[in-house]
Amino acid sequence: MTTRVEDEHATSMRDRGQRPTHDDRQPRPNPLREGLRLERMAEPCTMVICGATGDLTERKLAPALYNCLLGGFLPPEFTVVGFARRDLDDQAFRDHLLQGINKFSRNRPAKPAIWESFARGIEYHRGDFDDPVAYVELERRLDRIDRDRGTAGNRLFYLAVPPALYPEIVNQLDRAGLAAPGDRRRSGSKRGWTRVIVEKPFGSDLESARTLNRELAEVFDEQQVYRIDHYLGKETVQNLAVFRFGNGLFEPIWNRRYIDSVQITVAETVGVEGRGEFYDATGALRDIVQGHALQLMAMFAMDPPVEFHADDLRDEKLKVLRGVKPMSPADVATNTVRGQYVSGWVEGDKVASYRDAPEITPDSQTETFVALKLGIDSWRWAGVPFYLRSGKALPSRVTEISVRFKQAPLALFARAGVPQIEPNVLAIRVQPDEGILLRFGAKVPGQGLQIRNVNMDFRYGSSFAVDSPDAYETLLLDAMVGDASLFTRDDEVERAWEILDPILDAWQAGQGGPLHFYGAGTWGPPAADELLERDGRAWRRP
Amino acid sequence: MRFGEAESLATPMWEERGTSVRAIAGHLASLWDVPAELDDGGDPLVTEKGLPHARASVLNLIVTVVDEAAADRVVHTLVGLGVRHPSRAIVLVPQQGAGTAPMDARISTHCNEVSGGGDRVCYEEVVLTVRGEAAEHLSGIVAPLLIHDLPTHIWWPGDPPWGDPVFDQLVEMGDRVIVDSADFSDLLSGLRRTSNLRRRSGVGDLSWERLAWWQELTAQFFDAPRFRRYLPNLSRLAIRYAVPPRASRRHDEEEEVAPGVPAPMAQALLYAGWIATRLGWRRHRTLEPLADGGFRLRLEGRHEMIDLLIEPTTTDEVRPGELLSVRLRSLGETGAAEFIVDRDRDDAVVATNADGMTALLRLLSMASPREPELLSSQLTMDVADPVYEDALRAAAILLASSREAAA
Repeated sequence: MTTRVEDEHATSMRDRGQRPTHDDRQPRPNPLREGLRLERMAEPCTMVICGATGDLTERKLAPALYNCLLGGFLPPEFTVVGFARRDLDDQAFRDHLLQGINKFSRNRPAKPAIWESFARGIEYHRGDFDDPVAYVELERRLDRIDRDRGTAGNRLFYLAVPPALYPEIVNQLDRAGLAAPGDRRRSGSKRGWTRVIVEKPFGSDLESARTLNRELAEVFDEQQVYRIDHYLGKETVQNLAVFRFGNGLFEPIWNRRYIDSVQITVAETVGVEGRGEFYDATGALRDIVQGHALQLMAMFAMDPPVEFHADDLRDEKLKVLRGVKPMSPADVATNTVRGQYVSGWVEGDKVASYRDAPEITPDSQTETFVALKLGIDSWRWAGVPFYLRSGKALPSRVTEISVRFKQAPLALFARAGVPQIEPNVLAIRVQPDEGILLRFGAKVPGQGLQIRNVNMDFRYGSSFAVDSPDAYETLLLDAMVGDASLFTRDDEVERAWEILDPILDAWQAGQGGPLHFYGAGTWGPPAADELLERDGRAWRRP
Repeated sequence: MRFGEAESLATPMWEERGTSVRAIAGHLASLWDVPAELDDGGDPLVTEKGLPHARASVLNLIVTVVDEAAADRVVHTLVGLGVRHPSRAIVLVPQQGAGTAPMDARISTHCNEVSGGGDRVCYEEVVLTVRGEAAEHLSGIVAPLLIHDLPTHIWWPGDPPWGDPVFDQLVEMGDRVIVDSADFSDLLSGLRRTSNLRRRSGVGDLSWERLAWWQELTAQFFDAPRFRRYLPNLSRLAIRYAVPPRASRRHDEEEEVAPGVPAPMAQALLYAGWIATRLGWRRHRTLEPLADGGFRLRLEGRHEMIDLLIEPTTTDEVRPGELLSVRLRSLGETGAAEFIVDRDRDDAVVATNADGMTALLRLLSMASPREPELLSSQLTMDVADPVYEDALRAAAILLASSREAAA
């Protein structure tokens, strides 16, 4: 006679979790994972960092991997292969990563014994990116790792190199049979997945973005490509989604009937700070609006996805971007303002003019500030202006979305000598202090009727004092799990360029209005204020 | 630590002996008022930022302790907790027998700066000493002091007085009850009674929370599909847990230095119960009792018979009751495999020896979580945890089996 240690309830739960499958190739889910805090675990894999001796690996990737290790997020089999030209051996490469951890990790310095244990799974592969032999040897190495460490044929390639090198690397990966997922590999492990992470910028205009996407698509399926933009940290994106779709209060009023206008501000206090050459060829529109600001707008404005899954989410964001109609040259002159900062004071420090910064051409026409008025032609948003602005050397570092609601329909208190009350404002602050502010009118206590606006201010930092993981930690784990929600899809990238290309062209052709100058430490040129004043509105001072 | 000595205080401590619930509620309502400022004309100045600190509340926490010393310990834990869970915490110190006054109260607000950004997380702490007949009606005293519409968690440090009407009333008013099964003076009875508690948001157990990292490491062995196939064929599970050396066990009464752990086997049993219920094992028979309360049981798995070994090991390097090692052995198609987590103070060696391949060996950090961290994790949960409930029932069955054998 035996007694069950489990009971009926447990049995039924287990059976639900382990539904018999006729497909033996699909392993049953791990029954021990049920109910654990970590519902998704990165799969055993090898991460190959192309350009492994560069700055990104030291500053971001090594600290992110170490923090993931400490958090218990990396599978035991996890292996890193650094691939670069520099003549290093395994130990020297491990030291390079360790140096990055000890300098930049929030959990520094690394604990020696734990690091030693982790470092056993780190190898260095020396080779030139244009040398086919290097890739053949890389394939052999990965096969050997699969056998020795049980990485199951799963490979994550991180292209930590300038975009100009992408075509060479992906083609070489393809030729060596390294780009295909396991079931399409010619040799080596016939199992497992292959994914590739590419860094922004995703092109510098529509043409270059299409070329880049095409080059990637010739080798990889779109499902294999993860375009990383660390600006889209998971917390922000998920917070915005939870705020909108997790609360019954806001979604019903999230449309043209109740919302008057929307402002999106991405303000930086810094100047070009050692990125002069890159920035002078790029400008604010390409650097911030193309990725970050338009993505925030899409997240803000999208319809609820059917499920919170990568492609559902990206389909909805794409619909928003498709609703933004590209501008004619005349529209560009009316609805855009570009500016460049001249000397001034930011946060108590004197800042030199942009044109006097290192690596900047003396007559540079590059915009360090941009303000745009966009519209979304959709049932939900027709007629609601979206004002976007982004700039460098502005008075404070802030990213926020502010929603101005329509005025109350009747000036009910006008007879009591109270003028029309200001419209309500809902501000969603993304950084630095994530939070939500609602501004509404309230009666000043006392005799008589006096109405003042008050702010109801909620800060995430005051409610949840938990360290948010670094964006790279989240994104690396997502790529290992295969969740592409926070990565940008090719069609989103291209649509963003379709919106911005006419603006860049008009500016280039001198048809888009002049380049305005603004003092560092101000909120951009007066023309940006006039852009809103024409509509009877004003920028919110964040 | 005395009350009110948190890192920073937003308001001075308010203390009143022989007070009333109404007076306490009145003081709580005015806690965050700032003195009215007047403009030049002498009229009240209306400012948009009326509060000195943003205040956000996420829950009510009621803690009942046996005496002032225990209250001190709880307050110490709460200071660390307030950072993550802005709340109103009500610490109850019931005292039997009539006193000079039925109720004394101390109220303080604690604010901690977080992330260096000037944000402050604040919480309110109310310590009530209740005497005489009033001590038998704690729920009636607490109810008016709760913040409306927020979940109420009951944390009962120490051995819960099962069946006591005061305990039952308080449990009844909470959405979630948190205990620590290592504190149960009668472990078997405690496990059974805990599994019979039914609250809307479930029951939490700090001993279960202590197992989180062990569970994670164990589950990781079998995330890889090629190792998962060893799971149905497990043939041995050996768990070692820490018991203090006899000399130090005599000093259990020195709670402030080394809090006593009446039931050190709780974690090991919950761990075994967890594995057994996840894998559908059945009890078969008890092989033998071991020294110091350890035992060997024979269980019936899907394909194999399993030896379950739960064994105490004397050490003072970790807190009594914490796990020291877990070893799982399995027979697969390609031979035997072993999955091992061995703890050595603050580190753990995690090893997989299977498939005839090079042993996968890792060293990972395994520091004991502190009580505020355990409580904090438990407070973030607001639904029942069926995996815990299954493990709890199984733990009781395993323990009962070992007792039968011993008898």
